[in-house]
Amino acid sequence: MPETTAVSIRQLSKSFADVEVLRDVNLEVAAGDVVTILGASGSGKSTLLRCINWLEQPDRGSIHIAGERIGLDDSGKRMGAKALARVRAKTGMVFQSFNLWPHLNVLHNITEAPIHVMGKPRDEAETHARELLAKVGLSDKAEAYPGTLSGGQKQRVAIARALAMQPEVMLFDEPTSALDPELVGEVLAVIKDLSAEGYTMVIVTHEMSFARAVSNQVVFLDKGLIVERADPESFFDRPSTTRVQRFLENHG
Amino acid sequence: MNASAWQMLFDGAWTTLWISAVSIAIGVVAGLIVALIRLARIPVLDQLLVLYISLARATPLVTLALFIFLSAPTLGIGLDRSVAGILALTLNTTAFNAEIWRSGFRNFSRDQREAAMATGMTPWITFRRIMLPQMMITSLPGLINEMSFLIKGSPAIAVIGVVDLTRVTNRISAVTYEPLPPILVACVLYMMIIGALVWLQRRAERRANRLAT
Repeated sequence: MPETTAVSIRQLSKSFADVEVLRDVNLEVAAGDVVTILGASGSGKSTLLRCINWLEQPDRGSIHIAGERIGLDDSGKRMGAKALARVRAKTGMVFQSFNLWPHLNVLHNITEAPIHVMGKPRDEAETHARELLAKVGLSDKAEAYPGTLSGGQKQRVAIARALAMQPEVMLFDEPTSALDPELVGEVLAVIKDLSAEGYTMVIVTHEMSFARAVSNQVVFLDKGLIVERADPESFFDRPSTTRVQRFLENHG
Repeated sequence: MNASAWQMLFDGAWTTLWISAVSIAIGVVAGLIVALIRLARIPVLDQLLVLYISLARATPLVTLALFIFLSAPTLGIGLDRSVAGILALTLNTTAFNAEIWRSGFRNFSRDQREAAMATGMTPWITFRRIMLPQMMITSLPGLINEMSFLIKGSPAIAVIGVVDLTRVTNRISAVTYEPLPPILVACVLYMMIIGALVWLQRRAERRANRLAT
């Protein structure tokens, strides 16, 4: 597999009880790509994203992160906890509800994994963390605790926390869905900056104009199937399926 | 009450305090270990621990203390009274603490655990760096509550001859024929110890609530 492939998903299927949430999904994300996953709620888009770092275990299929298989080893056996953690570290995830650790201040939320997973020296990790805080516009909040931050600030810290592990791919699971409308813009602006810097990202979102501006590949999921994939211009201006046309009419 | 009676009372209070403190210290850590082993769901061991917890929670402290003290010699173990007392209190409080820790685990935020795993933390690092520091704060009110139950139950060890704060009042009144003054002082001393714990518990609760928001 060429090294320029950040994420490679082959024939991924998953069911919850009797409901098939993903059916034979194939997706390639090249290094530097920004892929947005669109779809109605319940279409399986969050599940797909959460399979990429094995927070959900697919029933069938394979996922490779930068050429390395996640979750199962080459003989198809489940990975041990340590091996799984090591592959997971190649991905960074930003959650809908931020999921910061409330007992640690902003700086330590960011340095925790670099120090205790990568074994980075503390001063080096903190220097890097302060650079990342500057990047997300929160240099003055290093010592603040998550409980004192607004939703938009929390999400920007969460982005910095994920970036601190220098992942091969950033995964965003509806990063603005839990935010007050006036705070959405500051988070989207940070993600746009990252795409301009060449970060590889897979983004599940409901923000249509953002998806159009930021991505170079749009994937539309319906009932667990990829029904359309295209560059953003074709997707939004000339959707080829009636399903996507209907979706776009409803999401103006 | 004369000077030697006061001295005896304070000695009794000291005995109650140190025996309880040792049992609490061991019991809090042992309870965490029992909770961790139970979460690992190791067959047989898990059933044994369930049996231990239900037995220890169902047995009165007096009975447990007597049982340990009297059964030790038949097993060929010579047990000091204080050690037998500590063992009885520890076996009792460990079972309750294990349940407190276990509910701390069960109620721990799944979101925070996922965030930890997503950064590449192993389950052990997640436990040590993310869960335990918060569980120590959120479980503390329950643990302190159990500590004060233990201290109030500690006179049970008098049954095997440990001269604790309650037992000593008997000894004093056997000489003075005035049972009321020593027991009154003992009550005040117990209230001071428990009062200190209640004060600690209130502070712990405030910290736990701050973490929750």
